[in-house]
Amino acid sequence: MVVWVVRRVAASIAIVWAVVTLTFILIHAARGSPFLPESSQSVDPETIARIKNQFGLDRPLWVQYGLYLRNLASGNLGQSFALRRPVADALADAIPHTFVLALAALLIDFAVGLALGVYQAVRERSVGDIVLGNVALFVNSMPTFWLGLALLLVLAQWLHWFPAGGPNDPVLCPRLDSFPCLLDFFWHLTLPALTLGLVGAAGTARFERAAMLEVIRQDYVRTARAKGLRERRVLLVHALRNALLPFITLVGLAFPFLLTGAVLVETVYAWPGMGQLAVKAILQRDYYVVTGAAIVTSSMVVLGNLIADLLYAVADPRIRVRGA
Amino acid sequence: MNVWNWVSLGGAAVTALVIVAAIRRRACAGASGRRFFRHPAAAPGLFVLAFFAAVALAAPFVAPYKPYEQIDIDHLQNQSPTTRNILGTDPYSRDVWSRLAYGARISLGIGALAMLVAVTIGAALGAAAGYFRRWVDSALMRLVDVGLALPRIFALLVVVALWDHIAVPVLVVVIGLTGWFATSRLVRAEVLSLREREFIAAARALGAGPGRVIARHVLPNAAAPIIVSAALGIGNVMLLEAGLSFLGMGVPSPAPSWGNMIADGWPKMAVAPWSATFPGLAISLVVMALNAVGDALRDALDPRKEAV
Repeated sequence: MVVWVVRRVAASIAIVWAVVTLTFILIHAARGSPFLPESSQSVDPETIARIKNQFGLDRPLWVQYGLYLRNLASGNLGQSFALRRPVADALADAIPHTFVLALAALLIDFAVGLALGVYQAVRERSVGDIVLGNVALFVNSMPTFWLGLALLLVLAQWLHWFPAGGPNDPVLCPRLDSFPCLLDFFWHLTLPALTLGLVGAAGTARFERAAMLEVIRQDYVRTARAKGLRERRVLLVHALRNALLPFITLVGLAFPFLLTGAVLVETVYAWPGMGQLAVKAILQRDYYVVTGAAIVTSSMVVLGNLIADLLYAVADPRIRVRGA
Repeated sequence: MNVWNWVSLGGAAVTALVIVAAIRRRACAGASGRRFFRHPAAAPGLFVLAFFAAVALAAPFVAPYKPYEQIDIDHLQNQSPTTRNILGTDPYSRDVWSRLAYGARISLGIGALAMLVAVTIGAALGAAAGYFRRWVDSALMRLVDVGLALPRIFALLVVVALWDHIAVPVLVVVIGLTGWFATSRLVRAEVLSLREREFIAAARALGAGPGRVIARHVLPNAAAPIIVSAALGIGNVMLLEAGLSFLGMGVPSPAPSWGNMIADGWPKMAVAPWSATFPGLAISLVVMALNAVGDALRDALDPRKEAV
């Protein structure tokens, strides 16, 4: 087991390194430079050359890459050109926002998805099952950002139930330092989390319905019923326990989905998380923010897979990891 | 919309019905075809796909305006749906329905072609990895690990930044190049089990080279999972294209794609919701149809997993 974990962690680090290298090369090869987009008309080429020299951008790419890796090894992620602050600080501000959003979305995703999936499986082929199945398929097929726009229009613009964007009220609650401001934060969080969570829940429900149906027909479930257990206990304790197993894969898969979906949803709701930071950085050719975001994102994906594999081994005694 | 547009639109719907009926008649001759149509969403899904394909092909007939045409920039912006502009006009005074019809060409075309690129690469590399094993396998699968570690939209944004204005064919290739990882894993797993079978050994004993064995004996037997993942993947590509265009990094305006139509309509969402709503609905419908057809295909092609 220990050997297996060590090997997986080493492989994960290698993957992250490869992603960083690839991103580094691609973003440096991109058209334009960090200093051209806004200053192209007014600044003479000499000044740009001087700034580039100051940041070391005029050196050969492999030298820059070597320096970047050396800084990375000592924990220095570099400096953002556009934000005029260390990349690590910018990331440290953004990560909690994305994390809270992903967590809230995941909660909605699993709570709604599990409930719907189990309900549909128990009432198989009833009107409710068919209607919910089609609704889930439709929601699962929507562009996430479009659902976000629709919710924004109806719930924020027309009904004024929720704020239109941003993580907090800039006038009343610039900082999270009191209880009302914490409530304000969650109030702002609702719509983006709902958007991400509902699209995920639709997929989870489809998945869980199939898993539950497979389990419900097995002999041990019949045995449990024959023992005279109440239906509720049979379904929720005996059946659901095994129907949750394939679910663990979903946890691992949900990570990249939430991060990817978050890129667009964060843009729609002006949510200052990783997705928005990364998109802006790519557009502004803010090289080190892009590579920093790549490190964080790919680490989370790799970590998600690793955790899913470990959970599998813990949850299912039949699965014994190789090298254990 | 004049009478001829309505007639053409009706014609597109009838054509779609006829196509689905014809497919159904032919398919029901075989066991897997019957299984396919036993899925309740299979026939409606096929109809939606055939209908939008027909609309895309017949765009000049069903659309009353040219997709770029600004009808009346002074008086006809953000017009709500009327009999003349059945889906309203967008902030640039263009007919939303006409753009939707022409946009179907770009959105469906990108979805299908990019998936074709992805599936071709995925099948070829997956088959190579599974068939040759050893270093080919480990090299390719490590590559796949890396490819799957970065969210696809992030990777696409970085790659698309290589161009100032990306041409649609390039976009297709780029989306395809970032989409083959999962397919190749699937194919590899299938090939790993196939290559130990007797008929492959027989083909090799008859002197067939690796290329011939893979193309003629291995891949046809691994076709089912490839087809299913392709059907499900097209929808994914369409969602990606929409997302990219929404961020202004996809199909360059003014060419209509359903994604950049949403992007165009978004800023005026509060006063003219139709110009962003209808393209979003179109995407959702088509992706839903693709998912339904993909599910039905899985039931049909994999008898081990009977439909539940």
